[in-house]
Amino acid sequence: MGLEKFKDRNVGIQQYKVVEHEAFPKSNAQKFARVMKRMVKGELFVGLWVTLRTMYQALFQDDMHTVKYPFEKLPISPRYRAIHEMLRLLESGHYRCIGCGLCEKICISDCIKIDTKYDENQRKEVTEYTINFGRCIFCGYCAEVCPELAIVHGGRYETSSQQRASFSIFEDMLTPIDALSSQKEYPGFGAVSPNADDNIKKTPLAY
Amino acid sequence: MEQIAFYIFSVLTIGLFLVTVLSSNVLYAMTSLAAGMVIISGLFFLVGADFLGVVQLVVYVGAIMALYSFGMMFFDATKDIKEKNTNSYLVFALGGMIAVMFVVIFSAPVIGENIQATYFVTGATNPQAVGLILFTKYLIPFEVAAIMLLVAMIAGIILAGKKMDDSLTTRDENHEEDTTFGLKDEK
Amino acid sequence: MDAIIIETIIKAIIVLSVIAALAGFGTFIERKVLAFMQRRLGPMHVGPFGLLQLAADGIKLFTKEDIIPQHANRLIFMIAPIITAATAFIALAAVPLLPEFTLFGYTVHPIVADLNVGILFILGAMASGLYGPLLAGMAQANKWGIIGSARTAILFMSYEVVTGLSLLAPIMLVGSLSLIDFNNAQSGGIGEWMVWQQPLAFILFLIAGFAETNRTPFDLLEHEAEVVSGYATEYSGMRWGMFFIGEYANMITIGFMASLIFFGGFNDLGFIPGFLAIILKVSFFFFLMLWVRASWPHVRPDQLMWLCWKVLMPIALLNVLITGLVMMV
Repeated sequence: MGLEKFKDRNVGIQQYKVVEHEAFPKSNAQKFARVMKRMVKGELFVGLWVTLRTMYQALFQDDMHTVKYPFEKLPISPRYRAIHEMLRLLESGHYRCIGCGLCEKICISDCIKIDTKYDENQRKEVTEYTINFGRCIFCGYCAEVCPELAIVHGGRYETSSQQRASFSIFEDMLTPIDALSSQKEYPGFGAVSPNADDNIKKTPLAY
Repeated sequence: MEQIAFYIFSVLTIGLFLVTVLSSNVLYAMTSLAAGMVIISGLFFLVGADFLGVVQLVVYVGAIMALYSFGMMFFDATKDIKEKNTNSYLVFALGGMIAVMFVVIFSAPVIGENIQATYFVTGATNPQAVGLILFTKYLIPFEVAAIMLLVAMIAGIILAGKKMDDSLTTRDENHEEDTTFGLKDEK
Repeated sequence: MDAIIIETIIKAIIVLSVIAALAGFGTFIERKVLAFMQRRLGPMHVGPFGLLQLAADGIKLFTKEDIIPQHANRLIFMIAPIITAATAFIALAAVPLLPEFTLFGYTVHPIVADLNVGILFILGAMASGLYGPLLAGMAQANKWGIIGSARTAILFMSYEVVTGLSLLAPIMLVGSLSLIDFNNAQSGGIGEWMVWQQPLAFILFLIAGFAETNRTPFDLLEHEAEVVSGYATEYSGMRWGMFFIGEYANMITIGFMASLIFFGGFNDLGFIPGFLAIILKVSFFFFLMLWVRASWPHVRPDQLMWLCWKVLMPIALLNVLITGLVMMV
């Protein structure tokens, strides 16, 4: 790709079509001519045809745009920051969290609480881990700071609740052991989206 | 049967017009006047003059009363009007005299000719009969009425159209942009 | 004598219930058609294809609180919606709805009152329908209501002129004011339809009909973007619903009038029997009103008056004049 393509910053005339409109009629004769022209030209029927075509497409060509939301859901971006998930190690099935406490430290809304102890192998074991989703602002710092990719953001975005404080415990967020094979590696919330190449556009700046 | 209906209609008409005169609320007066007009058209239907009844409905209810109410729109219709009666005796005397005068005017031809349908049209439907009489026997009054309406219309246009040149809604001609969309017709 | 009275009462009740139900059904059809034209589904969840949405809306309207504003004129406020609904159904009384048929050996004329001035009666009844929105707007002590009722008065009075004048030319050709005579005059198939002789009158009547039924290109009475809900701003519950039953009944009436006067009425159409033909025609006009609503924008109030007095009325007068000249020659 040559450099000149990026140097062409003049975005104004590339894909846009200039709509031509005639001058405002001055004399009465011109006005009358315009009325007659509009009457004969059938501009109104163009509008009727557009809606009828849309109706035909929607009914018979499967072009209905309604998403019946609670029953159908649109896919969300992998970068979306929804309810947290705790991942497991794929080989052993043990949870990835090493109890370092970085997520608790970095959390700017103080919603993560972690408590650990040493187990018999002198490894850190998570005894208590809760996230208060009433406070969480889904900034994603915990997932970013985690050295083990243990806490990530999942795709559960329907988080309405009847209480202001809504705690979630470690076991709820942890991948179930029988679903280990379907656990997906999270690319991280700073990762590019899968269709990023298609979405690249030139910045519309004139200089 | 028809007599019962006639009495019901007449009582209703008189009652509604009484409300019109006696009520101090614009909205009640207007509504009862319109309803009275509708019931008068009912009287026409009762005597078999379908065409006149419908014309009563279209003209009086649909057009004239609507114009009245359009005028009423500039008042606060939900409030009562405080009337200023300076001299109730004078009003009473004048009103009574006018009423007596009207009775005399309208009853004079009735007593004189003993009210007979002079011009019988046979073998024609209702609208045709009205048309035949209107354009033969009563042609001159009809045309005079038409000319009066024309005069009134021209006068109305002149009175209302004095200030039509400087419109409040459209902009000045000199500052009109070339690229105005839309349907501007008036200067 | 008594038989006629009983028959008329039965017919009136049937027309009232059927058309009121159809008017309610019309709201459902309108929502569906508008949704399809915007690539949406419309009501889907109450009953199959959302058909019971109608019942759900009815229950909602009936159980809603009937609010009357504090400074409103109670009596007028309460009777105004009834005027709208009543005049809409009174207008339907003079419309021949279906061809004559025989039921249990008794010939039924599906028209409540066979007046010989049927067209004028329908126009007059629909004209008095303007008192519904007018009084509603004036009684509710609300500035949007007042603006809405002012627009009602202007719109109805102006477009009545166009309706009357546009129908005058076909009336001159047929020589009768009865809709049944109109129907019989076009009994010779598609070639005899009035619309071929009077295309201009048909277009004018359709435009004025849209205005008189308060449909989209001219629905300034309750234009949400300008006057909150116009004359219906303060209404709730069944009183509000009655305005809409009246509006939809008027749409059906205009559909019947257009079919009977210009499109051959309930005469048999090829292999289609008469009663089906008129139902299809009326359905088409109903659909046309929804279609136009999905397609075209509103006009401004000044454009509305411009259209009526400077365009439609002169054309209608010319049409009457030319028709008269052609008939004389």
